[in-house]
Amino acid sequence: MSELAATLARPPRLRGLRAIELSVLLFFVVVMGLPIVFLLVGSFNVAPPGQPAVYGFENWIRAFGEPQTLSALWMSFAFSVVRLVPSLALSVTFAWLIARTDMPGGQIVEFLCWFAFFVPDFPLTLAWILLLDPNFGFLNNIAQALPHVDGPLFNPYSFWGIVWVHLGTGGVWLNVMLLTPVFRRLGATLEEAARVAGANTFTALWRITFPVLSPMIIAIAVLSFIKGLESFNTELLLGLPAGIYVYGTRIYDYLRQEPPAYGEATALGSVFLLVLAGLALFYRRYFQGKRKFTVVTGQGYSTLRIKLGKWRYVALGGFALWFAIMMVLPLTFLVIGSFMRRYGFFDIKSPFTLAHWQALFSDPLFLGSLQNSLMIASLTALLGVLIYSLVGYLLASQRLKAPALLEFFCWLPWVIPGILMSLGLLWVFLATPLRGILYGTVWGIALALTIHDSPVSTQAFKSAFLQLGPDLEEAARVTGASWPYTYLRILLPLVAPVAMTVAMLNFGTALTSISTPVLLYSAESRPLSILLLEYSFNGEIERAAALGLLITAIICAMMLIGRRFGLQMTNPRRQEARPT
Amino acid sequence: MSDTLLEFSNVVKRYGDTAVVDGISFTVARGEFFTLLGPSGCGKTTTLRLLAGLETPDEGEITLGGRCLAAPSRGVLVPTDKRGMGMVFQSYAIWPHLTVFENVAFPLRVRREPKSAIAKRVGEALQLVGLAGLEQRGATELSGGQQQRVALARAIVYTPALLLLDEPLSNLDVKLREQMRGELQALNRRLDLAVVYVTHDQAEALAMSDRIAVVNHGRLEQVGRPAEVYERPRTRFVGDFLGRTVIVKGIYRNGAGQSWIDFEGRGRVAVQPDGKFHDGDVVRIFSRPEDITLLPTGEVAANQVAGRIERVAYMGDHLEYTIAAAGRTLILPASKKEPFAIGTDIRLGFDPARITTLPQ
Repeated sequence: MSELAATLARPPRLRGLRAIELSVLLFFVVVMGLPIVFLLVGSFNVAPPGQPAVYGFENWIRAFGEPQTLSALWMSFAFSVVRLVPSLALSVTFAWLIARTDMPGGQIVEFLCWFAFFVPDFPLTLAWILLLDPNFGFLNNIAQALPHVDGPLFNPYSFWGIVWVHLGTGGVWLNVMLLTPVFRRLGATLEEAARVAGANTFTALWRITFPVLSPMIIAIAVLSFIKGLESFNTELLLGLPAGIYVYGTRIYDYLRQEPPAYGEATALGSVFLLVLAGLALFYRRYFQGKRKFTVVTGQGYSTLRIKLGKWRYVALGGFALWFAIMMVLPLTFLVIGSFMRRYGFFDIKSPFTLAHWQALFSDPLFLGSLQNSLMIASLTALLGVLIYSLVGYLLASQRLKAPALLEFFCWLPWVIPGILMSLGLLWVFLATPLRGILYGTVWGIALALTIHDSPVSTQAFKSAFLQLGPDLEEAARVTGASWPYTYLRILLPLVAPVAMTVAMLNFGTALTSISTPVLLYSAESRPLSILLLEYSFNGEIERAAALGLLITAIICAMMLIGRRFGLQMTNPRRQEARPT
Repeated sequence: MSDTLLEFSNVVKRYGDTAVVDGISFTVARGEFFTLLGPSGCGKTTTLRLLAGLETPDEGEITLGGRCLAAPSRGVLVPTDKRGMGMVFQSYAIWPHLTVFENVAFPLRVRREPKSAIAKRVGEALQLVGLAGLEQRGATELSGGQQQRVALARAIVYTPALLLLDEPLSNLDVKLREQMRGELQALNRRLDLAVVYVTHDQAEALAMSDRIAVVNHGRLEQVGRPAEVYERPRTRFVGDFLGRTVIVKGIYRNGAGQSWIDFEGRGRVAVQPDGKFHDGDVVRIFSRPEDITLLPTGEVAANQVAGRIERVAYMGDHLEYTIAAAGRTLILPASKKEPFAIGTDIRLGFDPARITTLPQ
């Protein structure tokens, strides 16, 4: 009885909030927790799919009886580590040059990095094949003309080939975008103090700037490392021909067998989960002790830039060269490739043709896939905004019963590779009554992609709501507005720029993701990215190039439009609203 | 009391184990300007938020105009949006995506007022706060003072039952603050609107309020008219918080229907008989520096204590003496007209109507 009274006494607002929190948690448990449990349990299920379960260790024994399995895990690790060093060095250098030096054209450089981040990796990988393939690669053909070169000089289907291609895709550019504001916020005061104390520019940089920023840099390194473990697209295109498997492609390989080796795939996935759990633990341990040294800026904030003198042109030249090699060159060859009758044969009569583009647009598969892709991407964008704005609001409200748990679920998809999550979801879809709606449909794929977008989306909304502060909401409530009215009229309009950005980002990832839909699509729900994969596997590299270009163009056009409308991850209007 | 508007009785609000509001009770009359004064973290803002319904009380009862707003023991809790309050936040909380007009019209739109009435009342409210003509400005294009006025207009546009002000002047510069102080008071009188005002600035509280409640550690230390709390503080905290104090130690004496404080033969000051103290108790007496007169060397008479000038500081418009008296060092301001030299034996004249006796 007293318990009832206590429940009644709770304010409706908190009761509502609690209800929302519980339903969000429940949603996460179902779509994230359940797949993982299914994965773990499934790895011990030795019966074929659809049959009554029989439990045993056979899957594990078989999976780890094969040397390729361990080597695939090892390769994932090796790739991620080897990539990390040059990629971090590049992004720290670029970010520093943009934010802290007088390198000319800093704004354009920043824009180019931003642009490059949105160029999807699969078309880029295709482009590198066009450039480096031992048989028809353009650069290899040129190299043939050099003295002392016989046989192909470059081979993209190799460890170093994969590492190289990765240096040009997403990761580096993303890190530049993450680090630039950090360098900017640091300002010059600390460096100036070091200079006054007698250090030269380089010493100040090495002894002050980088150590101060080290927690941030290490955080980005750990996140990139984990992200690197799930890397799939490049490894699929370049690794498979050379027999180089990473853990993601290995799972893909197991599932492509006839019949699909679900048991082995789930066993491998489960091991990977354990590795990730260990990493996450290390990450938390490390940051519990060290997090505290965030840079405090306040009065006396100085943004004086370091004068590079003559070197500033060298710096700009270096960046331009890197951008030309990693972006302009491959994209150019993607264009050339899509217009060539037979790629690599420049000497034949009328080598250029529109045939591949015509073939692409007249392919009934293409039209269906385009429809599917747009449907999936729109759903993903919409679901992402709806769900994660609410989650972000909850996290920012600081009135939750279990904020750590919610935060944990939001970050989970960052460490669970898309293919693994899809594998788990596949089991969940098959086991639920919603099977008809979710299994092999655009809805199922959109749901999986939405889950995968959770970390960035929630953080974006959370920081937007945190910046807003509680006052704006409370002011509306005091004047007599109900919570839903307040949410629609005050809160959502205020975070609209962030919502648009999140929607666009999610739209873009949905359009280009391969690892997430690859296990979930069916003939009816095939998206463009999978069609691209099929074209390139079938050796229709010219048509694949055309499709890759098309996807790239769609995304870049969207991002440019978005930029024009001033989309951003934060909401500066609030700052202006602050009384001075 | 028939004109009691708000009753706030024995309200407790806990965060974990700490009671931020620890059994606070007060009443506010219709049209009264009531101030909650205290240092930051004392619970005054939480009290205001409890009134607004932004926080939930754990115990106690809040009643406004006969309507119970919150009574946890009976399971009553009126949600924020159903309380009909007006509130101005410290940050003003102007919605940056709306114009001035839309900001002020929001409460009326929520109440589904007809369009014509909205335009009329928004116009009146803006007129009242002196912002007529700025309707179509973006809310973020305003200065701090203007934003403050928009927040005020938004809070009064629907004639709230109670106007809650949470340090509304603390973000303004000194000149603007003084101007707004007067305007807020005028508004309170003109609309006959009861105001609960939260501040940590004692000058603001003294100048504006009908009554002041001094809050410390989640409790009310004293409630009273400004002169009352300033001149006759009931606790050491209230005395210190409201201004500079002079405190001297003495012995409480009681005899023949009279009470006085004895300063070991160096003077005595008459006080009101007080049942709390007994003959021979060591007590402290408390006064405001400006209520003490410095008298030249001479016989120490009634209500006087002997002292000696130790140091003089020239402060421009006045002098400041450091004086040894009754075993303590006191700092007292005085006029430049009749300066005393260092080492002069002087007398401190206390005003028996303006001193408070506090226990040791």
